[in-house]
Amino acid sequence: MTALLEAKSLHHAYPGGVPALQGLDLSIAQGRKLAILGANGAGKTTLLLHLNGSLRPSAGDILLDGQPVSYGRAALAAWRRRIGLVLQEADDQLFAASVAEDVSFGPLNLGLSEEEAAERVAEALEALRIGDLADRATHMLSFGQKKRAAIAGAVAMRPEILLLDEPSAGLDSHSTVHLLSVLNKLAAAGTTLVFTTHDVDLAYGFADDIALFDQGRVLAQGRAETILSDDALLKQARLKPPFILELGLQARRLGLLADADPLPRSRAEALELLEALKA
Amino acid sequence: MSPADRVAHTNRWRRRSLVEKAVLALGMLVLAVALPPFPASPVIAVVMAAAALIGAAVPFRLWLACATAPAGFLLVGAFSLAFQWDGGGFSLAQNGLHLAAGLAARSLAGVCCLLFLALTTPTSDLLNGLRRAGLPAELAEIALLMYRFLFLLAEVAAAMDAAQAARLGHVGVGRRLRSLGLLIANLLPRALDRARRLEIGLAARGWTGELRVLSPKAAPSLPVLAAIGAMEGGVLLLGVLV
Repeated sequence: MTALLEAKSLHHAYPGGVPALQGLDLSIAQGRKLAILGANGAGKTTLLLHLNGSLRPSAGDILLDGQPVSYGRAALAAWRRRIGLVLQEADDQLFAASVAEDVSFGPLNLGLSEEEAAERVAEALEALRIGDLADRATHMLSFGQKKRAAIAGAVAMRPEILLLDEPSAGLDSHSTVHLLSVLNKLAAAGTTLVFTTHDVDLAYGFADDIALFDQGRVLAQGRAETILSDDALLKQARLKPPFILELGLQARRLGLLADADPLPRSRAEALELLEALKA
Repeated sequence: MSPADRVAHTNRWRRRSLVEKAVLALGMLVLAVALPPFPASPVIAVVMAAAALIGAAVPFRLWLACATAPAGFLLVGAFSLAFQWDGGGFSLAQNGLHLAAGLAARSLAGVCCLLFLALTTPTSDLLNGLRRAGLPAELAEIALLMYRFLFLLAEVAAAMDAAQAARLGHVGVGRRLRSLGLLIANLLPRALDRARRLEIGLAARGWTGELRVLSPKAAPSLPVLAAIGAMEGGVLLLGVLV
């Protein structure tokens, strides 16, 4: 299967010579949930900005459908039509007076009619479950609401790939659960999700695949449990294994869980495992 | 956000058509300026205050707080009309009380008109209206972005101010001034940084130079417009005939 979007030995340095990406390879497969997992300051945001053409690499290639991208006006527009980006700070993205107005911005830029755009807005607000906030002023929203409004702005364009920069950063656990269930619904509807995070538990519980990121490079990319059970790799990336996974692996080592049985992915599954062990 | 802004977004007449509100407020304003102050101005002031307080249910305290500053100017202006300095001391100016009362009534009516508009209509609605009325889209967009940035920067400034105060940056006048200077100096690069990220965010959603959004357009209701027109006609007749 060819990757939908690929990065090949990307290099990028910020003015002043600070290197952010140093020969990065990444492959994004259609219909998967990919977590770009790394410690703070590893260059994850810089990578996302490359994946929608906001930044140009100083060396290396980005391939869309196997073809190298170009950075002309029309090519960029076509690229961003397919790949949505949600910035970490929702305030960097919300510019319009009300939520519905802000969400309508992308669909109108796609050249849709006002009726179609209004439908897209309603659909996106519904998907993010913020239909009741449609007429709310953007500066009167709570942090979590702003976040969802910003995501709705990207979702309304129906991107094939949705790039999210630290989607759960700063959210309380209730809002995080809410956000993840919304994202799961989008994924189930066929959107490919790529998100950056430094939270190993979130990456393990939510992502199908993980790209382990450190010092401007992807150390390894693969299935979440494969990557996260490699202690040496994690150590190199200055991360700790997720607790739920450690628990599952320990259960296997102790012979409590058969190798063929699936490892628990969430707190609920871990608790179920304990129940099952007692029974 | 300021309380005035909040009520502009949440008052009972928020969803009423901008045309209705503008015809009411600006029509009355023109009448207040054009007609002799008595008896038209007090009538207009009462009508517009009632429209804001009863019609749109703007809280009275907030309305009063917003009216206080212009009312202060108004009193000073009226005072200087009423009295004159004749070398040795103040004396009542010729016809001064009459002039002062007229000016005060007229200005008060004008203030009530503008307060009504400001407290029932969010800035963004006004700008959208101006755009539809022919203001170049670029100007309206820049004004809208400035409006949005105002809140973001005010938040940043408040946070920086609190951080300075927490580290004793406000003890003594000299230090206070220095802290203020630092705050202002730091606000500019932050604003630029923010603008740059906003540009990335907008570009990611296909921005090509025009900030087009679907703005709600409440259609003005003809009966309401007719009622407003009749009311203004009544004030006009009152002003001309009495």
